[in-house]
Amino acid sequence: MALIFSYIKKHIVTFILAVAFLVVEAVTDIFQPALMSHIVDDGVTRQDTGAIIYYGVIMLIIAGIGAASAVIRNIFSTRHAQAVAKDMRRDIYKKTQSLSLENIDKISPASIITRITNDVSQVQDFVTGFTRIIFKAPITTISAIVMIVTQTPWLVPTMLIVIAISVFIMFLNIRIGYPKFARMQAKIDKLNHVAREYLTGVRVVKAFNASKNEEARFDRASDSLKNAGISAMRTMAVFGPLINLTVNVSIVVLLWLAHAQGGEHIGRTMASINYMTQMLFSLNIISGIFNRAIRALASSERIGEILHEEPAQKMPDRPLTPDIRGEVVFENVSFAYPGSDKNALENISFSCKPGQTIGIIGPTGSGKSTLTYLIPRFYDAGVGRVSVDGADVTLTDTNILRSRVGTAAQKALLFTGTIRDNLLWGNPDATDEEINTALKIADGLSIIESCDGGLDAVIGQGGVNLSGGQKQRLSLARTLLKKPKILILDDCTSALDATTEARVLAALREYSKDITVLLISQRISTVRRADKILCLDNGVVQGFDTHKNLLAGCGEYKAIYESQIGG
Amino acid sequence: MAASNLAAGAANIPGKHPGGGRRHGQPVQKPRDMKGTLSRLFQVLKGDRKGLVLILIFAVLSSASGIFSPLIIGQAISAISNGNAVLTFIFVLLGIYVGYFLVNLLQGIISGIFSQRVTYRIRVGLFRIMTGLPLKFFDTKQHGELMSRLTNDVDNISSTIADSLSQLLSSLFSMIGILIVMIRLSLPLTLVALIGTAAIVIFTRLVTKVTRPLFVKQQKDLGLLNGQVEETISGIFIVKSFSREKAVTQDFEKLNENLSKTATEAQTKSGIIMPVANVINNVSFVAISVLSATLAVQGMLSVGLITSFLLYIRQFSRPFVEISNIYNNFQTAIAGAERIFEILDTTPEPADKPDALPVKAPKGDITFTDVEFGYNPEKMILKGINLHVPAGTKVAVVGPTGAGKTTLINLLTRFYDVNAGSVTLDGHDLRDYRLADLRKAFGVVLQDTVLFAESVRYNIAYGNEGATIEDIKKAARIAGADSFIERMTDGYDTVLSQSGAELSHGERQLLTIARAVLSNAPIMILDEATSSVDTLTEKKIQNALLSVTEGRTSLIIAHRLSTIRDADLIIVIADGRIVEQGTHDELVALGGRYAAMHEAHVGE
Repeated sequence: MALIFSYIKKHIVTFILAVAFLVVEAVTDIFQPALMSHIVDDGVTRQDTGAIIYYGVIMLIIAGIGAASAVIRNIFSTRHAQAVAKDMRRDIYKKTQSLSLENIDKISPASIITRITNDVSQVQDFVTGFTRIIFKAPITTISAIVMIVTQTPWLVPTMLIVIAISVFIMFLNIRIGYPKFARMQAKIDKLNHVAREYLTGVRVVKAFNASKNEEARFDRASDSLKNAGISAMRTMAVFGPLINLTVNVSIVVLLWLAHAQGGEHIGRTMASINYMTQMLFSLNIISGIFNRAIRALASSERIGEILHEEPAQKMPDRPLTPDIRGEVVFENVSFAYPGSDKNALENISFSCKPGQTIGIIGPTGSGKSTLTYLIPRFYDAGVGRVSVDGADVTLTDTNILRSRVGTAAQKALLFTGTIRDNLLWGNPDATDEEINTALKIADGLSIIESCDGGLDAVIGQGGVNLSGGQKQRLSLARTLLKKPKILILDDCTSALDATTEARVLAALREYSKDITVLLISQRISTVRRADKILCLDNGVVQGFDTHKNLLAGCGEYKAIYESQIGG
Repeated sequence: MAASNLAAGAANIPGKHPGGGRRHGQPVQKPRDMKGTLSRLFQVLKGDRKGLVLILIFAVLSSASGIFSPLIIGQAISAISNGNAVLTFIFVLLGIYVGYFLVNLLQGIISGIFSQRVTYRIRVGLFRIMTGLPLKFFDTKQHGELMSRLTNDVDNISSTIADSLSQLLSSLFSMIGILIVMIRLSLPLTLVALIGTAAIVIFTRLVTKVTRPLFVKQQKDLGLLNGQVEETISGIFIVKSFSREKAVTQDFEKLNENLSKTATEAQTKSGIIMPVANVINNVSFVAISVLSATLAVQGMLSVGLITSFLLYIRQFSRPFVEISNIYNNFQTAIAGAERIFEILDTTPEPADKPDALPVKAPKGDITFTDVEFGYNPEKMILKGINLHVPAGTKVAVVGPTGAGKTTLINLLTRFYDVNAGSVTLDGHDLRDYRLADLRKAFGVVLQDTVLFAESVRYNIAYGNEGATIEDIKKAARIAGADSFIERMTDGYDTVLSQSGAELSHGERQLLTIARAVLSNAPIMILDEATSSVDTLTEKKIQNALLSVTEGRTSLIIAHRLSTIRDADLIIVIADGRIVEQGTHDELVALGGRYAAMHEAHVGE
């Protein structure tokens, strides 16, 4: 709740304005019935058209004022609730962007999406309702209490009992309702997750004729969301009527007492019943907003979870800002993925000088990509030290570091937008000439030529309308536009045919004369020209030397060589 | 059980093509009017109308006990003051209160269950429709945007139904009741009162005409926001490696701003309805007062009658204003429903012909005849492809990237249909077969290594429910995936909680190969199946696959020529045409493109 109120406070001015106009609106509401009775009593009953018109005009003026303030109140309260929601969404998103991959893996993308949209709108619903009742509920409650205390003091004990029971019921409501709503939101996460998987894997689903499978999975997720929803709704359905029953039973008790006293204080009884009814009215309003509050509470807790998430990577207080030229040093580095007890990298040590090209080769799952993740700090080494140009990467300004390290990965992920938009990720200020140069190296000019609209051709999410090789070449060009000092090529030509690949690699060799290149590949032919080759197996360095020396001294490397050249 | 109802429900939605899109190419009907959408929505509720009736009954009971309890209290009080027996009244009152409690409780529970069921039904139905849509649909939509329809838009419908329905019904009941009383009191005055009512109705319609597009836009903006979030969170790796956090946040803020602006505008404008309705009510109250006073002067109406009539008008206006407010709330739901119907109206994958052939033990003789195809009709990717793959042969497809190799496979699996020409299997056009059967005939390893957040076992057995654990293990062994699976904490039961993101690219490929092996399909299609696997493992897989595909037709796309040199037929595609075909030795001897590629490959 504190979280919600901190956001309400941020827009306190609109909030106060909304409440102020709400007061005007409420006051005019109070006048209206009185004026109506004047029209009836003084006008119609006496058949006095003048009086009707007199009171009628007053009533219309007041109603007009009321309507105007209602419209204005609505403007402010809508703005307020929208502003709160907008800020929340923005803060969650910003926070997410500042988290490390480890945090995001932990929370899961589907859940982050649910929180930004669904959870925020739960809170927004509550805030909207809250602005509307903040005035009404206290007024009706206080006036009911004041009336009871002053007019019917003998009712105070009954009132206290009723209030105590109601508070107890509301307390129970939180205890029981809160976890149910939290569970419901978690089920929405799950639903989003299944939907997202289907959308990502739609080709495979169709190829394996497995729509039924996906329908069943989605069915299960919706069904358990439905059940969680029903269970939450059921709980909510109990408490309102229960409070009603409490007040109503107290009315019966009052009648019973009046009867036991022999009907002496019938006037008192009638007044009591009136006030109890008024109290019931205000308790109803409160319990109504209470239900929303519980749901909002569950959602704000989930929002808070992200906002308070500690980034898994600490940013240095006074970051080093080395002039990055491309020297990379690994010293006794070991690393295990979060949640895994097996080291993906084991005691890795090697170094390379600016301008060198280091080939990295090794079997599937041997830790080749993982090794490169540590350089731009996607993950931090558990043991040992990774440094770039003498500065420990964990002590270096991450922005500077990442702006100097370019990765072209095998899975070429492009985003919805034009090809140009995607390429400009590398360098937002790149000129068309620079773009052309990068495309030329990546052998991407022909792609642009073949696309309607050239650079401004629109591609769908993930670049669906491009072939695997086209995506890889575009993503390589995107990386080159960054003009990195350390270029990591993670098997990024795997979908290219041999001729194109040879061309791209030759162009890259020319391009990378002055920069450091880490070249991951399965193929000896790709890495053999590297200055040095790091041969990995199972996260352990098997050899780090030139092609020639490895062939002579490294059994694993020799085995790979023979499997390829022999074939 | 509910599921089958639902599919039926979806098929019953007006405007939906019976039998699913046989009327290919016809413009799809898009209801943009509220009434149309509402009535379609009502169609969807078909299976849950029982719940609707129950809610109706409870609404009546609830308002009835609300009316009776004051009466009883009055009688009890007069009984007490007269010293009469009061116990009966007290017990009756207690009974009514307990009954009221039960009615309210049940009403709450039932409408909760009802709304959750409706949501479930709509959601599952929508998803079912979505699984039947062609790839083209998914290729042009952002994932997060579609997710928003499945969650936010569906939720909007149900929460509106849950929140407003009982309120709407009880308002409606009291309105009708009061209206009857008013007519009995004075028909002419009632007619005058109804002028005010009509004014409110007209005004509400005018406002909603403006606001409805805004609500539709609000849901659309929400979808776009969802889409951006999904895409940038899924691609957070790239975002971070390009230090684009600020830029994507800016994009987000723009969408966030748009959403908030549209929502504010929609709600501000629709917020006019209630206050104005109130003013109109007041005007009509004054008008009736003046009119009735004039009539009373002329002795045409008694003052008592007028007084009670005016009291009723006051009561009449309250539910009326409430209803116009509910109507307003309905707009978000309608906007959501329109977006859902938009998907329902998308032409699904073409249905099987009525006399579609089953695919039984296909031999695997494949022929492409004059095939023309382009994802975009203006730009052909494949131009006049003629190709015959005799049953049981191993065919390799090579060529530069973007030449159309994967497209060939997209046509074979009928992800897309040819624009001209034909593709036949065992002499019959692919379109003459049952689609489901046809796809079962292919064991496919695609370039995307898609895995699901389920166990390893589930992932290998995907699309192959009957497989035993022995079969699964055998397939994993053939695919060379067994060793790393066994190293995982729970072996085959290990859940890939991050949809495979926790595995290396090569490991993911091995799992997808195991999946294709297990499918034991008569025709194998491998699209860059081993591109990320180390060569030693690749060798092993190849040998194993060779034994699996022995005697079966197989189609292999590969860039490493070593993978394909022993293929029975190698096809070289360039720029959408077959430029060379033959065996490895023939093509090398030919000295053309293939020979050049071969040169590049072994040259180093």
